[in-house]
Amino acid sequence: MQPMPRGLALAALVLSLGTVAAFAILLNVFMWPLPPVVYLGVLLAAVALAAMAVAQRRRWLPIISLVVSVAVLGLGGFFHFVAARVPVTPTAFVIGRPAPEFTLPDSAGRTVSLADYRGRKPVLLVFYRGYW
Amino acid sequence: MEDAGVEIIAISPDPNERSQGLADRLDASYRFLTDRDLEVSRRVGLVHAGAGPEGQDVPKPASILIDRDGVVRWAKYASNIQARPDPAEILTAVRAL
Repeated sequence: MQPMPRGLALAALVLSLGTVAAFAILLNVFMWPLPPVVYLGVLLAAVALAAMAVAQRRRWLPIISLVVSVAVLGLGGFFHFVAARVPVTPTAFVIGRPAPEFTLPDSAGRTVSLADYRGRKPVLLVFYRGYW
Repeated sequence: MEDAGVEIIAISPDPNERSQGLADRLDASYRFLTDRDLEVSRRVGLVHAGAGPEGQDVPKPASILIDRDGVVRWAKYASNIQARPDPAEILTAVRAL
Protein backbone atom coordinates (compact mmCIF):
# COMPACT_ATOMS: atom_id res chain seq x y z
CA MET A 1 0.00 0.00 0.00
CA GLN A 2 1.43 3.33 -1.00
CA PRO A 3 1.85 6.10 1.56
CA MET A 4 -0.69 8.92 1.16
CA PRO A 5 0.65 11.63 -1.12
CA ARG A 6 -0.65 14.25 1.30
CA GLY A 7 1.31 12.68 4.15
CA LEU A 8 4.46 12.60 2.05
CA ALA A 9 3.96 16.20 0.95
CA LEU A 10 3.41 17.38 4.52
CA ALA A 11 6.41 15.42 5.74
CA ALA A 12 8.52 17.06 3.03
CA LEU A 13 7.32 20.51 4.08
CA VAL A 14 7.94 19.80 7.76
CA LEU A 15 11.43 18.52 7.03
CA SER A 16 12.49 21.39 4.80
CA LEU A 17 10.91 24.27 6.74
CA GLY A 18 11.74 22.58 10.02
CA THR A 19 15.37 22.37 9.00
CA VAL A 20 15.47 26.09 8.29
CA ALA A 21 13.90 26.82 11.67
CA ALA A 22 16.19 24.40 13.48
CA PHE A 23 19.24 25.90 11.78
CA ALA A 24 18.27 29.41 12.85
CA ILE A 25 17.30 28.47 16.41
CA LEU A 26 20.30 26.26 17.12
CA LEU A 27 22.63 28.91 15.82
CA ASN A 28 21.13 31.98 17.47
CA VAL A 29 20.01 30.50 20.77
CA PHE A 30 22.47 27.71 21.44
CA MET A 31 25.29 28.95 19.23
CA TRP A 32 25.54 25.46 17.79
CA PRO A 33 25.86 25.22 14.03
CA LEU A 34 24.10 22.36 12.28
CA PRO A 35 26.69 20.33 10.37
CA PRO A 36 26.19 20.70 6.61
CA VAL A 37 26.03 16.93 6.10
CA VAL A 38 23.05 16.89 8.47
CA TYR A 39 21.00 19.72 7.06
CA LEU A 40 21.80 18.98 3.42
CA GLY A 41 20.94 15.31 4.00
CA VAL A 42 17.59 16.17 5.58
CA LEU A 43 16.79 18.63 2.80
CA LEU A 44 17.59 15.97 0.20
CA ALA A 45 15.26 13.58 2.01
CA ALA A 46 12.55 16.24 1.94
CA VAL A 47 12.91 16.59 -1.83
CA ALA A 48 12.72 12.82 -2.21
CA LEU A 49 9.52 12.64 -0.18
CA ALA A 50 7.98 15.52 -2.12
CA ALA A 51 8.95 13.90 -5.42
CA MET A 52 7.30 10.67 -4.30
CA ALA A 53 4.17 12.63 -3.41
CA VAL A 54 4.05 14.32 -6.80
CA ALA A 55 4.65 10.99 -8.52
CA GLN A 56 1.55 9.65 -6.82
CA ARG A 57 -0.73 12.63 -7.19
CA ARG A 58 -0.10 15.81 -9.11
CA ARG A 59 -2.16 18.11 -6.90
CA TRP A 60 -1.39 21.49 -5.36
CA LEU A 61 -0.10 20.26 -2.01
CA PRO A 62 2.45 17.77 -3.39
CA ILE A 63 3.52 20.28 -6.02
CA ILE A 64 3.96 23.07 -3.48
CA SER A 65 5.88 20.73 -1.21
CA LEU A 66 8.21 19.87 -4.10
CA VAL A 67 8.75 23.50 -5.07
CA VAL A 68 9.43 24.51 -1.46
CA SER A 69 11.73 21.53 -0.79
CA VAL A 70 13.75 22.11 -3.94
CA ALA A 71 13.98 25.83 -3.21
CA VAL A 72 15.16 25.26 0.36
CA LEU A 73 17.64 22.62 -0.80
CA GLY A 74 18.91 25.07 -3.39
CA LEU A 75 19.31 27.78 -0.75
CA GLY A 76 21.04 25.37 1.59
CA GLY A 77 23.36 24.19 -1.14
CA PHE A 78 24.15 27.75 -2.19
CA PHE A 79 24.87 28.70 1.40
CA HIS A 80 27.20 25.78 2.02
CA PHE A 81 28.99 25.58 -1.30
CA VAL A 82 29.14 29.26 -2.20
CA ALA A 83 28.28 31.81 0.49
CA ALA A 84 30.01 30.06 3.38
CA ARG A 85 33.30 29.44 1.58
CA VAL A 86 36.48 31.12 2.78
CA PRO A 87 39.47 31.49 0.44
CA VAL A 88 42.59 30.04 2.07
CA THR A 89 45.59 32.27 1.42
CA PRO A 90 49.06 32.47 3.01
CA THR A 91 49.26 34.07 6.43
CA ALA A 92 52.02 35.40 8.66
CA PHE A 93 52.00 32.11 10.57
CA VAL A 94 54.57 29.75 9.08
CA ILE A 95 55.20 26.30 10.59
CA GLY A 96 58.66 26.26 12.14
CA ARG A 97 59.02 30.06 12.16
CA PRO A 98 58.40 32.45 15.04
CA ALA A 99 54.84 33.71 15.28
CA PRO A 100 54.31 37.42 14.65
CA GLU A 101 54.03 39.49 17.80
CA PHE A 102 50.82 41.32 18.69
CA THR A 103 49.04 42.96 21.62
CA LEU A 104 45.27 43.11 22.10
CA PRO A 105 42.87 43.90 24.97
CA ASP A 106 41.05 41.05 26.71
CA SER A 107 37.41 41.07 27.84
CA ALA A 108 38.39 42.75 31.10
CA GLY A 109 40.29 45.48 29.30
CA ARG A 110 43.79 44.26 30.15
CA THR A 111 46.31 44.19 27.32
CA VAL A 112 47.67 40.78 26.41
CA SER A 113 50.73 40.12 24.27
CA LEU A 114 51.80 36.88 22.68
CA ALA A 115 55.24 37.57 24.20
CA ASP A 116 53.68 37.23 27.68
CA TYR A 117 53.64 33.47 27.14
CA ARG A 118 57.19 33.09 25.82
CA GLY A 119 59.04 30.61 28.02
CA ARG A 120 55.83 29.93 29.99
CA LYS A 121 53.27 27.92 28.10
CA PRO A 122 52.14 27.02 24.58
CA VAL A 123 49.33 29.09 23.09
CA LEU A 124 46.46 28.06 20.88
CA LEU A 125 45.24 31.08 18.93
CA VAL A 126 41.69 30.75 17.66
CA PHE A 127 40.64 33.43 15.20
CA TYR A 128 36.87 33.44 14.80
CA ARG A 129 34.25 35.63 13.16
CA GLY A 130 32.35 36.57 16.29
CA TYR A 131 28.93 37.97 15.42
CA TRP A 132 27.08 36.41 12.52
CA MET B 1 43.71 21.30 26.88
CA GLU B 2 43.78 22.75 30.40
CA ASP B 3 45.82 19.81 31.72
CA ALA B 4 48.20 20.11 28.81
CA GLY B 5 48.92 23.61 30.06
CA VAL B 6 47.95 25.30 26.83
CA GLU B 7 46.57 28.83 26.95
CA ILE B 8 43.68 29.19 24.56
CA ILE B 9 43.32 32.69 23.16
CA ALA B 10 40.23 33.47 21.12
CA ILE B 11 40.45 36.53 18.87
CA SER B 12 37.54 38.25 17.14
CA PRO B 13 36.26 41.75 16.44
CA ASP B 14 33.57 41.25 19.10
CA PRO B 15 33.70 44.05 21.67
CA ASN B 16 34.87 43.19 25.18
CA GLU B 17 31.42 43.04 26.78
CA ARG B 18 30.21 40.56 24.22
CA SER B 19 33.29 38.39 24.58
CA GLN B 20 32.96 38.39 28.36
CA GLY B 21 29.35 37.27 28.00
CA LEU B 22 30.54 34.49 25.75
CA ALA B 23 33.24 33.47 28.21
CA ASP B 24 30.73 33.37 31.06
CA ARG B 25 28.26 31.42 28.95
CA LEU B 26 30.79 28.82 27.86
CA ASP B 27 32.35 28.65 31.31
CA ALA B 28 35.60 28.86 29.45
CA SER B 29 38.94 29.42 31.07
CA TYR B 30 40.33 30.84 27.92
CA ARG B 31 40.97 34.44 27.13
CA PHE B 32 38.97 36.44 24.67
CA LEU B 33 40.86 39.23 22.96
CA THR B 34 39.15 41.94 20.95
CA ASP B 35 40.63 42.86 17.58
CA ARG B 36 38.21 45.75 17.18
CA ASP B 37 39.30 47.16 13.83
CA LEU B 38 40.75 43.83 12.63
CA GLU B 39 44.19 45.47 12.76
CA VAL B 40 45.96 42.34 13.94
CA SER B 41 43.87 39.98 11.80
CA ARG B 42 44.70 42.09 8.76
CA ARG B 43 48.40 42.18 9.60
CA VAL B 44 48.64 38.39 9.85
CA GLY B 45 46.61 37.82 6.69
CA LEU B 46 43.41 36.50 8.26
CA VAL B 47 40.79 38.92 6.93
CA HIS B 48 38.05 38.01 4.47
CA ALA B 49 37.28 41.31 2.75
CA GLY B 50 33.61 42.23 2.52
CA ALA B 51 32.37 38.80 3.58
CA GLY B 52 30.35 39.95 6.57
CA PRO B 53 26.53 40.13 6.59
CA GLU B 54 26.66 43.92 6.07
CA GLY B 55 29.52 43.74 3.62
CA GLN B 56 32.10 44.44 6.31
CA ASP B 57 35.47 42.73 6.56
CA VAL B 58 35.46 39.70 8.84
CA PRO B 59 38.19 37.42 10.23
CA LYS B 60 38.93 34.11 8.56
CA PRO B 61 38.48 31.25 11.05
CA ALA B 62 41.83 29.73 11.96
CA SER B 63 43.54 27.81 14.76
CA ILE B 64 47.27 28.26 15.33
CA LEU B 65 49.38 26.37 17.86
CA ILE B 66 52.49 28.21 19.12
CA ASP B 67 55.02 26.53 21.39
CA ARG B 68 56.75 27.96 24.46
CA ASP B 69 59.52 29.38 22.30
CA GLY B 70 57.02 31.36 20.24
CA VAL B 71 57.39 29.12 17.19
CA VAL B 72 54.38 28.15 15.07
CA ARG B 73 54.01 24.37 15.22
CA TRP B 74 50.55 23.69 13.74
CA ALA B 75 47.90 25.66 11.89
CA LYS B 76 44.44 24.91 10.54
CA TYR B 77 42.58 27.29 8.26
CA ALA B 78 38.86 26.81 7.67
CA SER B 79 37.76 26.80 4.03
CA ASN B 80 34.16 27.16 5.15
CA ILE B 81 32.76 29.43 7.88
CA GLN B 82 30.77 26.52 9.30
CA ALA B 83 33.90 24.59 10.19
CA ARG B 84 34.65 24.40 13.90
CA PRO B 85 38.06 23.60 15.42
CA ASP B 86 38.39 19.87 15.97
CA PRO B 87 39.47 19.23 19.58
CA ALA B 88 40.93 15.80 18.77
CA GLU B 89 43.09 17.20 16.01
CA ILE B 90 44.27 20.03 18.25
CA LEU B 91 45.12 17.67 21.12
CA THR B 92 47.20 15.57 18.76
CA ALA B 93 49.11 18.68 17.75
CA VAL B 94 49.56 19.71 21.39
CA ARG B 95 50.91 16.29 22.35
CA ALA B 96 53.40 16.52 19.51
CA LEU B 97 54.97 19.64 21.02
